[in-house]
Amino acid sequence: MNLYEKSAAELSRMVRAKEVSATEITKDALARIEAVDLKVDAFLTVEAEKALDRAAWVDEQVAAGKDLGPLAGVPVAVKDNICTKGTKTTCASKMLGNFIPPYNATVVDKLLAAGAVIPGKVNLDEFAMGGSCENSAFKATKNPWDLTRVPGGSSGGSAAAVAACEVPLALGSDTGGSIRCPAGLCGIVGLKPTYGAVSRFGLVAFASSLDQIGPMARTVDDAALLFRVICGQDTAHDATSKPFNFAGMGPDIRGVRVGLPKEYFGTGVSEEVKAGVLKAVDDLKALGAQVIEISLPSTRYALSAYYIISSAEASSNLARYDGVKYGYSGRRDGSLNDLYLSTRSEGFGREVKRRIMLGTYVLSSGYYDAYYKRAKMLQRAIAAEFDEAFSQCDVIATPTSPSTAFKLGEKVNDPLAMYATDICTTTANIAGLPGISVPCGFDSQGLPIGLQLLGPKWSEARLLTVAKCYETAKGGFAVKEM
Amino acid sequence: MEFDVKHIAKLAMLQFTAEEAAAFEKEFAQIVKMVENLPEMESAVTLLEPENQMELREDAVIPSYPREEILQNVPHAVAGCIVVPKTVD
Amino acid sequence: MSKLSEKYEVIVGLEIHAELCTETKIFCGCKNEFGAEVNTLCCPVCMGMPGTLPVLNRQVVDYAIKMGHALGCRINRISKMDRKNYFYPDLPKAYQISQFDIPLCEHGSLDILMNGQVKRVGITRIHIEEDAGKLIHDDAFEGSLVDYNRCGVPLIEIVSEPDLRSAEEAKVYMETITGILLYLGISDAKMQEGCVRADVNVSVRPRGQKEFGTRTEMKNVNSFGAVYRAIQYEANRQMEVLEAGGSIEQETRRWDDAKGVNIVLRTKEDAQDYRYFPEPDLLTFEVSEERVQQLKAEVPELPVAKALRYVQQFGLNQDDAQLLASSKARSAFFDASVALNKCDKKAISNWMIGDIAKILNERRIEITDTALTPEKLTDMIVLIEQGTISNTAAKTVLDEIIVHDVTPADVVKEKGLAQVSDESALAAIADQVLAANTKAVADYKGGKTNVLGFLVGQCMKASKGQGNPAKLRELLSSKIAQL
Repeated sequence: MNLYEKSAAELSRMVRAKEVSATEITKDALARIEAVDLKVDAFLTVEAEKALDRAAWVDEQVAAGKDLGPLAGVPVAVKDNICTKGTKTTCASKMLGNFIPPYNATVVDKLLAAGAVIPGKVNLDEFAMGGSCENSAFKATKNPWDLTRVPGGSSGGSAAAVAACEVPLALGSDTGGSIRCPAGLCGIVGLKPTYGAVSRFGLVAFASSLDQIGPMARTVDDAALLFRVICGQDTAHDATSKPFNFAGMGPDIRGVRVGLPKEYFGTGVSEEVKAGVLKAVDDLKALGAQVIEISLPSTRYALSAYYIISSAEASSNLARYDGVKYGYSGRRDGSLNDLYLSTRSEGFGREVKRRIMLGTYVLSSGYYDAYYKRAKMLQRAIAAEFDEAFSQCDVIATPTSPSTAFKLGEKVNDPLAMYATDICTTTANIAGLPGISVPCGFDSQGLPIGLQLLGPKWSEARLLTVAKCYETAKGGFAVKEM
Repeated sequence: MEFDVKHIAKLAMLQFTAEEAAAFEKEFAQIVKMVENLPEMESAVTLLEPENQMELREDAVIPSYPREEILQNVPHAVAGCIVVPKTVD
Repeated sequence: MSKLSEKYEVIVGLEIHAELCTETKIFCGCKNEFGAEVNTLCCPVCMGMPGTLPVLNRQVVDYAIKMGHALGCRINRISKMDRKNYFYPDLPKAYQISQFDIPLCEHGSLDILMNGQVKRVGITRIHIEEDAGKLIHDDAFEGSLVDYNRCGVPLIEIVSEPDLRSAEEAKVYMETITGILLYLGISDAKMQEGCVRADVNVSVRPRGQKEFGTRTEMKNVNSFGAVYRAIQYEANRQMEVLEAGGSIEQETRRWDDAKGVNIVLRTKEDAQDYRYFPEPDLLTFEVSEERVQQLKAEVPELPVAKALRYVQQFGLNQDDAQLLASSKARSAFFDASVALNKCDKKAISNWMIGDIAKILNERRIEITDTALTPEKLTDMIVLIEQGTISNTAAKTVLDEIIVHDVTPADVVKEKGLAQVSDESALAAIADQVLAANTKAVADYKGGKTNVLGFLVGQCMKASKGQGNPAKLRELLSSKIAQL
């Protein structure tokens, strides 16, 4: 087995046991990136020198017999909407094409404290708005399982980099499915934590009340490993973060009640995806889980509520990009208004402008109650419905995406079709719940299908346990040879 | 529903060519139709969430950033200040 | 003008923004300080850099609640922050974090003293928010310069009901609010530094009419004087428009205090749509009932109540009482002196408002910056009351005890200021003065008896202030009669 194919847990063990140096791992990862990223296009920035310096530092720690963090020497790719001090953080937008933050996101500080090596920053849909990674201002990332298809979005770069074995781990962010959908389409594991479990400080905001950073990996253990490193309250920087002790995974899932909500298996979900997910649910049953049918009727409104709330917040969060303080700056030879208008009209891509417009509209005078407030009330209703459902079951199983990876370009000109790809995932963000996507087989074209498991708030350990037991039963998840 | 692209664009500080605006208008008709598909909800008086509260920060000083770092990304700076086109308000 | 003001009534409401004197800014740990070099009190949070988040400063909430108590408000223990969206270069995030529908404090009132009469002004609300940066306009540069040091400095906005009826009332209201801010120690309230700023809403209506007229809002009114002038100007403008058969447009105007005029900033048509919505980076917050009560207990007796008490309890006149009460330091000194219960309370007031205030004004210092203590001041007054020193000698004593750490008795001893009441010594002085002022003596005899005061004064001078003036007066008149 090549180094680059190994899990993070294994690499970290090997570094500790001095079987391999962090420098060797890093060199190997950089070589792998160079070899396959031409095809996959996951990375926006690769910082080989910085990564090697960092690896050398880890090796010094090893040599000195120092305490090593849980990610000692492990390469972790970071989504390019997560701030890295001294390294460009572009959000895949022309607007921040030259932005170099003078600060680290809390999760990046935590990665570094855990001994991780960051080889570079990975692609996304501009400002994390999109479901295919095609809305990047710089390039479209490809799905390693079929290079003519999208990796999903918005954390498409993170998913593709992990799936193509460029890195064992990546950080993504999930506002409406942006970790889980690409994880599902690329056949890897992606965890969207409970809202407030991971600090958002340094995550460039799309929709503040929905955004969460989470781990993406090829194995459940690795996802759990990375999650353990990044979770926890950040009182100094993020008032919405909450104290959380991650208990770790349990041994089995005997007696776990798995709820199947019929609303997630209706029209719009492909037959092959349905079949794949139901097969996985049968596998869970075989492992001792109990399967019960449940109903989440408000789900049909979740997508609308999601687009209202997320766009409203985005319209405000993205107002700061005005050409004055950082990033792209438009016409300076005219009035202040000319500078503002040219900066924003030239700096933002089409989808971002679409959402800013929608968000501005739903907050504007006379429409606030009808749209924003109503969506917030609906959000409460959806959360209450989940609470009720979790009195009957422990986890909820659904497809991650309604279909497998689609062709590049297929949905670019159809915003509604693109929005519909989030139909199974937005509810978790709306209700603040944790959700995980694990691979559950392939469709007839050999494209990965994703199983989504949702749990009550702070039930990450339970979700990972179910995922881990499933993974073990399947003898591990398939990795694409490239 | 009425969607005045020009008015919203003004609020959002964006400008569109006539062509873009026309395309937007069409897309928006669809998107707004989608988001309008919301049921009537009993409207609470406020959006307070007393069951989900935050902690407050102590009033303790944390050193500010050096000015070079603060200004490092500024497109146009002079004399330690950020420069914008002349405005009087 | 006077004719117009007889015909029309002026209606004023004020929105006062006061910077709070916390250690740090409202949402980050940067120092809250005035006068630092440009852009040196900034961090990624107050610069609104991508990915940064606000964390609310507890002290800001406490200070606002204290002000709420001082203004008799209902405290909303459970509250939240909201975003107010608009583009301007001094606002780095392009939204201001403020409070919209649930301000920390609501439904209060403030009593102000107008010519000795108490007038009650309704307080609509007090909310907390962040200040914006500063634009610097300098002709040496082509554009405008922005300094973000002030970004995130905590503000409270105090909104009054439209209960004020003149420029004078508005000015007194603002002075009273400022006095309370200082009393509570929650704001430095220095208007010249822009610590306290007001937006002024003005309308006029024919006297006797019930409905309010259309109001205009004036921004940028930054001193007590400016409040007065801005309202005078705007009320006058509105009355003239109405007199000429015109109508008032609902608009925002900008007061230019240097030129003494205002100009239209925004008409109703381009009224801003701020798109308020709950700040998603901050959650609901709650202040315990216990804490609210604790903060209430920390509110001291406030200037207006104090002034009224001084009048009632000590018989001070209204002006003196208000002057004493208006400063926290001054009134604390007065209260402490009175509490010693050694001398006439009015005498304390007279000294404080007279000679002491004069010295403080000359030296531009506060009473707390001097060596003077309530003990020393009252000791000095006791010496006067006992006849040990004259008022004139007391001034010399004051000059010493205000600067040096010495007792009045020591000064009297050291400088030999004790009053001379010995007949023979005084008689010698009187003789000497009478001999030197024959014209005055003649005038006195000719019926101008008021020259006696002058002669007493001369005797005091000759005795270096140590003569007992009452005795001297007696001696002089009997001696003149004998001449």
